[in-house]
Amino acid sequence: MLHCLNAPGNLAGNCTDMTVLERQRARMKWQQEQIQQQQQSYFSGSELSGVFSGQTQAGQVAQSFQGLVGCESVLCEAVNRSVKPDPGLENGWPEMGKCEMPIMGLGSCGGLVSDTQGFQMNGAISRTASCPPTVAAAAADTKAREAALHEKMSSAAGRESFKKRKADKFQNTKVVIEDDTKEKRIKANAEEGESKITTEQNSTKNNSNINSNIRESSGDTSKENSKASDQVQKPDYIHVRARRGQATDSHSLAERVRREKISERMKYLQDLVPGCNKITSKAGMLDEIINYVQSLQRQVEFLSMKLAAVNPRLDFNIDDLFAKEMFPASTASSFQQIGISPENSAYLQFNPVQQVVSCCGLEIGINSPDMGLRRTISAPVSIPEIFLDTSCFTQVQPPTAWDTDLQSLLNVEFHQGRLTTPYPSQPFAGNIEASNLKMEM
Amino acid sequence: MNNPRRLSSSCSMTNIKSRFTHGFLRALSRINTRKPSTTREICKRFLRVKLAADASMASAVGSRRAWSRAMLLKMRLRRRTCRDSRITNDKKKKKKMSGSDQKEEVNGIRKAEELRGLVPGGESMEICKLLDETAHYIKCLSTQVKVMTTIADFYSL
Repeated sequence: MLHCLNAPGNLAGNCTDMTVLERQRARMKWQQEQIQQQQQSYFSGSELSGVFSGQTQAGQVAQSFQGLVGCESVLCEAVNRSVKPDPGLENGWPEMGKCEMPIMGLGSCGGLVSDTQGFQMNGAISRTASCPPTVAAAAADTKAREAALHEKMSSAAGRESFKKRKADKFQNTKVVIEDDTKEKRIKANAEEGESKITTEQNSTKNNSNINSNIRESSGDTSKENSKASDQVQKPDYIHVRARRGQATDSHSLAERVRREKISERMKYLQDLVPGCNKITSKAGMLDEIINYVQSLQRQVEFLSMKLAAVNPRLDFNIDDLFAKEMFPASTASSFQQIGISPENSAYLQFNPVQQVVSCCGLEIGINSPDMGLRRTISAPVSIPEIFLDTSCFTQVQPPTAWDTDLQSLLNVEFHQGRLTTPYPSQPFAGNIEASNLKMEM
Repeated sequence: MNNPRRLSSSCSMTNIKSRFTHGFLRALSRINTRKPSTTREICKRFLRVKLAADASMASAVGSRRAWSRAMLLKMRLRRRTCRDSRITNDKKKKKKMSGSDQKEEVNGIRKAEELRGLVPGGESMEICKLLDETAHYIKCLSTQVKVMTTIADFYSL
């Protein structure tokens, strides 16, 4: 948290020149320095004092964390500072928001594991983890102070929304805190409240992540918060507006509904297409879907080529085939037990390869989602290695004799490029045809 | 909302699978009456088998889905016209997007166009419906591949 206070603005500078954020940063720094001097006696670690920087309204935060609040004396001290007039309570607000984090960190330090994930507040929490939680008397005291603070807040123009949101947030956090197990939610909630205002001072990525988590969990404030973070993240200004989250016109409502539908369908497709769990962007997902559809279509083409090349059996029995089709496992096992005759060797060589092809086609499609054209060139080159490694290939036959043949055939087919598609499935059909013709002759 | 849809779809998928298998095997038996002697004959048979696969798949799905309807319509039109036009139909060129495709939205639209080209009947669909059809099409394609793989395995024994 300390490094986020490295504000470029000068401490005593003209407030009019700086932006609002800079102002609050300056304030934070100044307060931090102030507190550092005073708080040094309370804690041995100097870092802890940094945690309590800007503790102007720490008291009002404390009241919502009954039983979790840290050292009483520090809080009292901090609350006393709240008497200081702030030119813009807007500036004070983020400080309060900021203070929440360390307080909450204190509060949850009993069982909290410090994880510094590049989340600035987490750093504060980890530092406070060592502080033993004392209790609730402070909370009771600070309740009154919070009331005073709230009055002050309401005095400023256009602060009703603030109050409402703050109350909501407090309620949220209250409810959450009573559930001791959800420590992370506490963190996230406060962070969410803060993110409405000070997005620059926290990594926006974390915010959005946490916000997205919260969106699903907390019900009524979710829309509000998401919209808030959307709007705040764009410029440098802190815009405090009246109630957000309510769509004002039918267009945006319809648009949102449509977007939700599309995202729902994309999620469904993500389950269908294998290997898409990590891809988050819409374009990447569409890429994967397109590749998968293409690979499936080529597989069908390739299989139909194979079926066309196969010798027709006169003792062809549909029902028998149907039974076999319904129990593919049995066919696979029987297939391996059959003695390998030279006539069928081409097929036998081909089949495990073909099974691998279907895996390959998908894997290659998945591994290189962004390489559209390049894949078609690189795929055949990577096939030989894959085939050499497949276990199913080795199950059927000792691979040594066939490897070189296969590779040479692959290369030949790649260069010829006979069939319509350059996908890995392509070369084998040609091989099969050629070998079939040879056998028949 | 997804769960009941998925449950019903899995039941319907087995129905589609069995229907497809029946139709496809019948078509195969009709096609594979003689031994293929020349490469050219094999190519012809390949095209017929491919057509049979698509047709039996579309018939198995029926008129429930937009893509199957479009596929069936295309096949009926094909039967009425000569073979040359069928080949030219297959080689439909996609529209080229020009201009700066910097924005993600434009990229998304381009991908959507590509997807439209892949899914039968997808040209005149909006994104939402296109994604729906794509999902069902992917499922049907994968069952088709499974069935054909099993048949091919059986054939090769």
